[in-house]
Amino acid sequence: MSQFDVLFEPLKINNLTIRNRVVSTAHAEVYATDGGMTTDRYVKYYEEKAKGGCGLCICGGSSVVSIDSPQSWWSSVNLSTDRIIPHFQNLADAVHKHGGKIMIQITHMGRRSRWDGENWPNLMSPSGIREPVHRATCKVIEEEEIWRVIGDFAQAARRAKEGGLDGVELSAVHQHLIDQFWSPRVNKRTDKWGGTFENRMRFGMEVLKAVRAEVGRDFVVGMRITGDEFHPDGLNHDDMKQIAAYYDATGELDFFGVVGSGCDTHNTLANVIPNMSYPPEPFLHLAAGIKEVVSVPVIHAQNIKDPNQAKRIIEAGYVDFVGMTRAHIADPHIIAKIKNDQVDQIRQCVGANYCIDRQYQGLDVLCIQNAATSREYMGLPHIIEKTTGQVRKVVVIGGGPGGLEAARVAAERGHNVVLVEKADELGGQITLAAKAPQRDQIAGITRWLVMELERLGVDIRLGTEANEELVRELKPDVCVIATGGRPFIDQNPEWGAEEGLVVSSWDILSGKVEPGKNVLIYDTICEFSGLSAADYLAAKGSLVEIVTDDIKPGVGIGGTTFPTYYRSLYEKEVIMTSDFLLEKVYREGDSLVAVLENEYTGQREERVVDQVVVENGTRPNEELYYALKAESRNNGQIDNEALFDIKPQPVLSESGDGMILWRLGDCVSQRNVHAAMYDALRLCKDL
Amino acid sequence: MSFEWLHPLLIATALVLAVIGAVRRVNLWRAGKPDRINLIAGLMAMPGRYLHDLHDIVERDKYMSKTHAATGGGFVLSALLIILVHLLGFDNQILAWALLAALALMFVGALFVFKRRLHPPSRISKGPWMRLPKSLLAFAGAFFVLTLPAAGVLPDGSGGVLLTVILTALIIWGMGELFFGMTWGGPMKHAFAGALHLAFHRRQERFGGGRSTGLKPVDLTLAKEIGGVLGVAKPTDFKWNQLLGFDACVQCGKCEAMCPAFAAGQPLNPKKLIQDMVVGLAGGTDANYAGSPYPGKEVGNAKGGPDHIITDGLIDPETLWSCTTCRACVEECPMMIEHVDAIVDMRRYLTMERGKTPNKGAEVLDNIIATDNPNGYAPASRTNWAADQNLPLMRDVKQAEVLFWVSDGAFDMRSQRILRAFVKLLKAANVDFAVLGDEELDSGDVARRLGDDATFQSLAKRNLEVLSQYTFSKIVTTDPHAYHCLRNEYSDFGSDALDGVEVLHHTTFLNQLVQLGRLKLNNFSGAKVTYHDPCYLGRYNGEYEAPRELLRSMGIEIAEMERSGFRSRCCGGGGGAPITDIPGERRIADMRMEDASSTGAELVAVGCQQCTAMLEGVVEPRPEVKDIAEILMDQLVDPSAENSRQDRLAEEVH
Repeated sequence: MSQFDVLFEPLKINNLTIRNRVVSTAHAEVYATDGGMTTDRYVKYYEEKAKGGCGLCICGGSSVVSIDSPQSWWSSVNLSTDRIIPHFQNLADAVHKHGGKIMIQITHMGRRSRWDGENWPNLMSPSGIREPVHRATCKVIEEEEIWRVIGDFAQAARRAKEGGLDGVELSAVHQHLIDQFWSPRVNKRTDKWGGTFENRMRFGMEVLKAVRAEVGRDFVVGMRITGDEFHPDGLNHDDMKQIAAYYDATGELDFFGVVGSGCDTHNTLANVIPNMSYPPEPFLHLAAGIKEVVSVPVIHAQNIKDPNQAKRIIEAGYVDFVGMTRAHIADPHIIAKIKNDQVDQIRQCVGANYCIDRQYQGLDVLCIQNAATSREYMGLPHIIEKTTGQVRKVVVIGGGPGGLEAARVAAERGHNVVLVEKADELGGQITLAAKAPQRDQIAGITRWLVMELERLGVDIRLGTEANEELVRELKPDVCVIATGGRPFIDQNPEWGAEEGLVVSSWDILSGKVEPGKNVLIYDTICEFSGLSAADYLAAKGSLVEIVTDDIKPGVGIGGTTFPTYYRSLYEKEVIMTSDFLLEKVYREGDSLVAVLENEYTGQREERVVDQVVVENGTRPNEELYYALKAESRNNGQIDNEALFDIKPQPVLSESGDGMILWRLGDCVSQRNVHAAMYDALRLCKDL
Repeated sequence: MSFEWLHPLLIATALVLAVIGAVRRVNLWRAGKPDRINLIAGLMAMPGRYLHDLHDIVERDKYMSKTHAATGGGFVLSALLIILVHLLGFDNQILAWALLAALALMFVGALFVFKRRLHPPSRISKGPWMRLPKSLLAFAGAFFVLTLPAAGVLPDGSGGVLLTVILTALIIWGMGELFFGMTWGGPMKHAFAGALHLAFHRRQERFGGGRSTGLKPVDLTLAKEIGGVLGVAKPTDFKWNQLLGFDACVQCGKCEAMCPAFAAGQPLNPKKLIQDMVVGLAGGTDANYAGSPYPGKEVGNAKGGPDHIITDGLIDPETLWSCTTCRACVEECPMMIEHVDAIVDMRRYLTMERGKTPNKGAEVLDNIIATDNPNGYAPASRTNWAADQNLPLMRDVKQAEVLFWVSDGAFDMRSQRILRAFVKLLKAANVDFAVLGDEELDSGDVARRLGDDATFQSLAKRNLEVLSQYTFSKIVTTDPHAYHCLRNEYSDFGSDALDGVEVLHHTTFLNQLVQLGRLKLNNFSGAKVTYHDPCYLGRYNGEYEAPRELLRSMGIEIAEMERSGFRSRCCGGGGGAPITDIPGERRIADMRMEDASSTGAELVAVGCQQCTAMLEGVVEPRPEVKDIAEILMDQLVDPSAENSRQDRLAEEVH
C-alpha cells in the first residue's frame, strides 16, 4: 500500500491503456537532427523516461506537418516526409519495450516562427497579423493553402501511425495555426474561415476530420488547447470551454491537454512554463474547468513537480493525467523512485527554466542540475553504478554545485569521499541566488545534493578552509578543486573597490552589507545576479536604479524568466537604464557620486546615491589549485578529448605517485551551474 | 520380610485407583465433540508412532532422547514385570532378573533426569515436575530392593521392619506418582494421555513422516442449529481428541523457547496455553502452574471448567491474538500437540460469534467481505500493477501450462516489484502462463487465520469456481500464504478444479526452470547472503531446499542463521498478527533481523512478500531484503538477443 496508489491507476485513452497518471507532455526538445528526424539522442532521451516508469510521453512539441512551417530553428521533428517513419519505429520500440506509450504533437506553426532561414517561406496566418515574440511577419493564408495544410496534418498523422507511435496530439495551443484561426485577436477574416464561432472553428475541425479519416477510429488523436489566453481581445476561459465542448461533441477526440495562458507576448509566454516565481499548478483551475465540459481524459501540465502534489491533483479529480515534464527533465526516474519508496531521492525540478530558456534560443534543452538528461546517448548515466575497480580516497574542496555533484558521483561510485567547505553551509553561489525574492526555490538544487551526500555517507567538513597542508594530510587519490570565484569588482580601479566605495551583489544578497536608501547597481553581466540584487534591494525599501552597458538589464536571462523579474522590478519602480558604462565612483560628503558614460555618445551623467553595487562577474579562486598543481600526477590537467567524449580520464588507468588533481566550476572560469555539474559528472562517473 | 500380603495389596490398590482415574480422565475428554477416528487402528499403530514419529522429534535432543528411552522404557517394562512378579506372584527367577534389569535401566535414566533437574532451563516447568526424578528413583530403587529376594539375591524375609517400612513408603510414593499420578493429573499423565494422543491424534496424516498443516474447516451449518457454536467457546467445544492432546503435554517448554510472540514479550506462551486448556478441561485454576507465565501476566488468576467460556476468565483474548500461526511450537512439540489448531478454533469463536477481532481485525475482515482483499482496494484495481506487462488473461486464453496466482501483493507497491521480477523470469524462460486478472480473489488466508472461516470458505469456493473454468497443469504463486491455502486447504470444498494440478511456490518452480537450463544466470558477486525461511513455505509445506538450491545456483554460499530451516523464526507477519497487533516489548521482525544481521549478511533473501514487508519495516541500518525472484532477475542472462523484438527483456522492475 502506498500513499501514491492513485497515481498508479491505469487509465485508457481510446483503447490505449496508460500504466499510470503521469505524462511527459509535449515540449520542443531541439534534438531532432538530420532535417528533423528522431535520431539517437532523441530516442534515448525518451527511452530513459519510459525506463523510469513514465506512463505516457508526448514528444515533439511543435513538430511540423508542412514544409512551410520551418523546423530547423528549434530542431523540431519534421513530419512532412515519409523519411520520418523508420525513425519513429526506433522511437516507439524504445519506449514500448519499457512499458511506456508515446505520442507526438503535430502542428503547423503559422505565424509563430521565423521566415529568415531554411526554405525562406512566407509565414501564413489567418489575417497576416505580425507575431511579436518571434518578430514574425506573415501573409494571409489562402483557401488553397488551408486545404493543403489540412491534408498535411492527415499525412503527418499517418506517418506517426505507420511509425508505430501510439497517437498524435493536435496542437491548438501556444498560438499555432489552429488556435490562430480560433482567436478573434488574430483571426479577422470575413470568409467561412473567420467571423462566427463555427467559422473560426472550421480549420481545426477540418484538420480533425481529415486526421481521423486517415488514421481510423482506434488510433489516439488528442488536442492540446489553452484554458484562457489571458488577452482581453483573445479567448477567455468561457470561450475555451465552449470550444472544448464543441470539439468533444464530435466524439472524434480522445483526450484534451490543457495549458493556461496564451503566449504571443513576452509576458504571457512566461506563464506557459511557470518558473520558480509561480505557485504550484497555477492554472489547474483552467484545466479542471475544461474537464467539466468534455467526456474524454484531460491532461494538465504546468508547475507540477512533486509526487504529493500530483497525487493530490489526481485524487481530487481535477484532471485525469498530470503532466510532469520538467520534473522528468530533472529526474527521468521520478516514477521509479516513487514506486521504490525513494521519494526523498527524487531530484526535483526547481523551476530555473534553464531547459526552456535554452529552447527559445534554439539551443538543445538541458537541465540546469541534471547533466545526464538528453546526454544518455553519449553514455552519461542517470543511475550511477558502483565501481568494480579500485576504491579511492576522493577529496573535494568546495561545496558549491560543482563540488557537491563531484562528491555525489564519486560517492555513488563507491569511493571514500571527503567534502571540505569554507562556509558553514553548502551550496556556494546557489545559496546567494536563493536570497532574492521569488528565487528561493533555486536552493532545491543544493537541498537534493546534500540529502544525497548524507545518504551516501560523504564526510562533510563545514567551516573548514582548505589549504595545501590539509589536502596533503587527507592523502587523496583524487582531489577535485571546486573553490568557485569571488566578485570581480576591482576590474576598474576607478570604481573604488579598494577604498570601499562599491560593494558586490554578493555583499547585498548575503546580507553582509545593509541595503542603502538610494542605490545604483552597475551590472555588466545582465543575468540573474544583477536583477536579483535589484529586486532584493527594492523589496527592502531601497530606491534602485540598475544600469548596464549592455542593451538592456537582464538581457542574458531567458524568455520565460526575465518577464517575472520585470513584473517585480517595474512594480517596485526600479529604474532600468541601458547603454551606460560606470566610469568612476567618488565620495562627496556623505554621498557617493557615480559617473556614467553613454556607450554611444560618450555623454556623461552623474548619480548621487548612498550605495553603489557592482555586478561584474567573478574571478576564479585558484590559489589552492596552483599550490597543489606541481605535486599532482597530472599537473592538474584534464584530458579534454576524453572529457568531451565522455570517456574515462586516461590518468585513472595509469600508475603513478601522488594525487590526481582536477579543478572544475568557477574556479577555472566563470560559467554556470550546469557547466560545473556537467564537468563534475563526466569527470567523476568513471572514477 | 514380613507382611508379604502388603505389597501386592498396595500394587493392586494403586492399579485400581489408576484405572478409576483413567476412566474419570477419559470421561473428561469424552465431553469434547466427536471426531471420527478409527480407535482400533490407532491403538495398533500407537507403538510404531511412538518409536518413529515421536522419537524422531525427541531425537533432536540426543541427551533427552536417551534419558527418556531408559527411564520410560525401563518403567514400562518394570510395570509389566511388577504386575507379574509382585502382584500375580509368578515365582520365576528369569522374570525377577528381567525386572531387576528393567528397574536398573529406569534408575539410571532417572539419575539423568535428576541431574538435568539440578539446573533446569527456564523453559521447563518446575513444581511437581521437580519431584518426578525423585519419584522415579524411589520407584525404581524400592522395587529393585523388593525384587532382590525374588531373584534369589537375598533370602526371603531379609531386612527388618524398618527396611520394610522404608521400602513400603518408597513404593507408595513411587506408585503414587507413577500409577495413581498417571491418571489423576500428575506429571506422569503425559505417558497415559500421550500414548492415547498418538493413537487418536486428530491429524493422523502426520504419522509416517507426513505433513498435515491445513486448518480443518468449520461446519457452518452449526450456525443454524440451536445451541450450535462456530469455533470453540468452551473446552467441551473442542474435539475430544484435541482435549486428549492437551493432556499429553510434558511441559518441556520447547514450544515456549521457539515461540516468537513469547520472545517478543507478547502475552503468549504456548506451553501455558496448553496447560490452561488442561485447567479448562478438568476445571480449576492455574495456581499450580509452575512454568513461565504469559509475558506480562501473573499466574494464578485464571480459572475455568469444561463448560466455562474460555475467554471469560481462563485465557485473555490477547493471548490468542498474539499468535502468528508460525507453527514453530507444533514443529518442536515432542508430543505432537496442535497448538495452532486450538488457537484458531478459539479465534473462530471470538470472530464469528462475538465479533471481537481486535484492532484492525474487524476492519480488515469487513474489507475482505466487501472487496475481496484485506486492504479494501477496489477489486477492479487488482491488475493495475500489470498495466504495462501484457499478461495473458485466463479469461482470454482459457488454458495455459501455468496459472500464475498473483495474490494480494498485486495491491502493494513493494510486492509488485516481486511480481514484476517473477513475470520477467517467466517470460525469459518462455513459460506458457496466464493470470486470472480481476477474477482472482484474496486466497482467504488472513480471514481464516483471524477466525473468519465463513469468509475464507466463501472466498475459497468462489476462487475454485473461477479456477474450474480453465485448464492448467500448475499453479505457481509468489505468496506462501496463498500457496498453503491452494495446496492444503482448498481441497476440503468438494471442487475438482485443482484435481491433478500441481500447486507450486515460485521458488520451487523457478528452481525447476534453472535446473532444466531454461533460465541462465550469472554468478552473484555481491555481499554475504542469508536466507529466511517463510513459515508457510517451510514448516507448513516442507519446502526448505528449492530456495536454497536457487541461491546456490547463482554461486551464493548461504550464511545460515542459527534458526533456519524447520527452526526458522517467524518474521511476525503471519496469522493476521500485524493486523491484531498485540503489544509486546519488542517487535518480532526486529528479532528476526537481528538473527539475520548476526550472520554478517548484507542481503536477506526471502520468498514471501509478507516477510519482505515485515523485515523491510525494521529500521536501518540493516541488511537489504530481497525476494529470491528479485535476486534471480538481477542475475538473469538476458536472452533478448535470441528473441524477437516483442519478447525482449528490457522491462524494468519498479
